[in-house]
Order: sequence, then structure tokens, then C-alpha cells
Amino acid sequence: MRLKRPASATLLWGLLPLGLLTSPARGQGAALDAGLRFQKTLNLYYENGLTVQYRSPRLLKSRLQVGLTHVSSRLGSAIGSNAIKQDNVFVSGAYLFRVERTVQPFVRLNAGWFRADYESDIFKDLTSSSPLLSTELGLLVPTRYRINAGASVGYNLITGDGSDSPGTLFPLFYQLSLTYALLKPAAP
Amino acid sequence: MKKPAFLFLLCLTLVACEKQPELSPDTLDGGLLFDASLYQPEKYLVSRATPQPTPAEAQRPVLIAVHGYSASTFEWSEFRQWAGGRTDFAVSQVLMGGHGRSYEAFKDASWRDWQASVIDEYQALERAGYRNISLVGSSTGCTVILEMLASGYFNSHQKPRQVLLVDPNVVPSDKLLTLVGVVGPLLGYVEADNTAAEDKYWYHYRPYETLRELRTVVNIVRKDLQRGFRLPAGTQLKVYKSTSDPTADPVSAVLIHKGVRTSDDKAVDVSMVNSDLHVFTRLDLRPTPVTAQDRENQRLAFEDIALRLTR
Repeated sequence: MRLKRPASATLLWGLLPLGLLTSPARGQGAALDAGLRFQKTLNLYYENGLTVQYRSPRLLKSRLQVGLTHVSSRLGSAIGSNAIKQDNVFVSGAYLFRVERTVQPFVRLNAGWFRADYESDIFKDLTSSSPLLSTELGLLVPTRYRINAGASVGYNLITGDGSDSPGTLFPLFYQLSLTYALLKPAAP
Repeated sequence: MKKPAFLFLLCLTLVACEKQPELSPDTLDGGLLFDASLYQPEKYLVSRATPQPTPAEAQRPVLIAVHGYSASTFEWSEFRQWAGGRTDFAVSQVLMGGHGRSYEAFKDASWRDWQASVIDEYQALERAGYRNISLVGSSTGCTVILEMLASGYFNSHQKPRQVLLVDPNVVPSDKLLTLVGVVGPLLGYVEADNTAAEDKYWYHYRPYETLRELRTVVNIVRKDLQRGFRLPAGTQLKVYKSTSDPTADPVSAVLIHKGVRTSDDKAVDVSMVNSDLHVFTRLDLRPTPVTAQDRENQRLAFEDIALRLTR
């Protein structure tokens, strides 16, 4: 038997994200950004998804930004096409330069997991998953409207080689992230 | 500060432009050794051997065999030898444009030139009245055949009966090929790890211009497969793919399986072969010892190809 959720609870869950987005910032120096990441691999797929990034004065005086990201061709090239459905989930650590300026260069190291879905038993002997390890070099541009834009070029250090790694793990990618500041450091 | 940087970049560009390997006359690159089909095309091409077929010959299956990037007709010679005295089908070994000649000829040829030889032979057979034409490719030979299918070439031509793809190259195993536009001009060329015997049938040096062409055609076909296309009515397709392949990534078979459907919307046949050889049907002149498993893989593939041609 399915329990019916009270209408008030449904309303609460529906309004919670809206509340988060519109409530005043209470970051006390910490910054929490969440948003969309649009990624394109050179000569391969668009892979889009979600990213969450956090930094705090306690983490190298807000110069270290840690994050969690999930991008997938399911939200990109595989929509309405025969592109392979593949997912990238990774944690990241970025070091930001010129944090007081409008444009903040950064270097980032990502580590995580890659998985492709070949959708047929014919290919069950092919490697479909792999650790992910990549670096990025980019620019972060916070705006006064809580919207942050970040763009970078990245390089996958582990790629497919025809034997024991997935064939659609390519080296070079570039990405654009648009995030919303859920927590914003108080103005000095 | 800007001036030395500019001069450095200029020198780097000039050095890159002058990259030219030292060509040995003992190799296919040297301009002295040529593919045998250039001397005696009638021994390799059915259209030249029998330009006016009898009605019985015109009904007999003809298999156009297309080799891969930097290779030559040698890649399909074992199949011709295996077929031996069989008279129930004929093999036409095509030499792709720019191949089997010289380094310069290779460097100057585009992927369209590679493909043109296949189209020329197909149309020559068609004009001569042959009514049962099939295609078999290895590695990049498969890529140019897939491009013919995807681009609708056969809409205005006779439909092939069978399209057979051995280790098709849609995704190269060496992913650095995607960076050829950046690093290619700096390198000028790359050197293949061939044996001295292989150097007589495969180019030893691969100009970056040809790698750029290779990247272009695999990208075109990958995108065609991503969009998806159907085979002409009456055409069947089968992929034979090594499970481990240092040249054409096995995921190429996945992309073909997802991207090509028969005319009545059925999946195409794919056979994953337990092998770590690229073009597992070619065993002659291999630098590593050929195993019993390799021989068995080759035999099974050849028998299946012959069966599909004649059934």
C-alpha cells in the first residue's frame, strides 16, 4: 500500500528549493555554489549536468574550492541520438588566484569515476568503466547577482586505449559552468 | 619581451614545416617500391580482369576488399589465397588512393582520394554488368565504406548484397589523434612500429596531413552513426571486431551496432572476436608469433565471409 503524502508536505518539498534560491545569504564567509555544467569533449560528446562547489576562509583563505560534479551524455549528445550513454562523477579541488578580483584564474584537479552503458550483451566483455583523473585550467567570474560563471579547458589523464579502458574516454574537453550562490560570503 | 617570443614561434613554425623523414628505398615510402596492383591491376581488380563478363559471371558474387589506412592490397591477400580456386565468388582487391605509392603521394591524398578507388571499382563493376557486388573492409577501409552508406551513395547505384567490416575504425584507440590539429604541424609526421617486412606493404611514416584526414573521416562517420542511418533494402551488414585492439578501439563496434539499422529496422550483426590483433584476419608478417587462436579466428571469419557471399 502506498502512503499518501499530505498536501502540506508536498508544498513544503516544492517550495524548499525556491526558498534556498531566494533566501538571503548567511554564509559567514563560506561560499556554496550550485548549478549547471556544460561540457564538450573534443571530437566527441556534449555531456551536461550538475555541479556543487564550496569554499571557505578556513580552506586556504578561500583560495581552495572543493566540489562535486556529475555530467552525462544522457543530458547532452545522447538525447534523441545514438550517442553512448555515459556518466562522469567526480570530486574536485581547485586553487583560485586573484580571489579579490573580478576574474579569478584557477587550476583544478578532478578525480572520480566514468561509466559507459553499451546497452547490449554483445559487448559485455568490453571495459565500460574507469577511474577518472583530469586537470583543468580556467577562469571563474563571480557576478553581483549571485550568478557565477566558470569556463575551463581540461585534460583527462586516463583515456581509452583499445584494451582495458572505455573507448569513449577522450583526452581534451572544455566546459562552462553557471552556478548560483546558495551561500555567499558577507561583504567586507 | 614580445620580439624573442615571436621569433621563437616563427622558428618553431619553420622547423615544423620542414619536417621530412629520411625515406629508405627499401620501404613503401621510398618511391621505388609500389603496390603490385599498380603493375598488374588485372590480377587484383575484377573489373580489369573480366571487363565483359558472361551472364553467368555477371551473376557470380564479387567481393570488393578494401584495406586500411597506410596499408596496401596485401592486407586482403590472405583471403584471396584462402579462397584459392573457388569459382563461386571473386575477390577484387582495391588499392586506396594515395596508398602503395610513395610518401609524397600519401601526404597529398585526402580521405576522398582514399575512397575514390573503392567507388571507381564499384562503378566499373556496375557498368560492366555485375549484379552481385559486396564490400569487405578492414580498419579505415570500413570507415570509407560506412561513409558511402551514410551519405546515400547507393541511392543512385546498385545496392551491395553484403557489407562486411573487419576491425572497423570509428574510434581510434590512440586518443591523441584528436589533438592532431595542434601537435601535428609540430611533429610533421609519426613513425609506425613496423617490421622491415611490413615496411614493404605499409607506409613507415605517416604525415600529419594524412592523420588529419583520418581524424576527419572517422569524425564524419561517428557523427553519421550518432544520427543513425539505415542500410539499403536487401543489404546486410556484419561487424567482426577484436575485443582488444591497439589501433581501432573496440567501442567502434558499439557505435556501429547503435547507429546502423537494416532497411526493415533490425539491428546489424556483430561478432566480437577474442583477439588482441588489429585486422585479425591478416596474420602474415606479424611481428609476434601467431597463435592457434589467431588461426582459428581467421578461419572462422573467412568461412563466414564466404558463406555470406554465396548463400
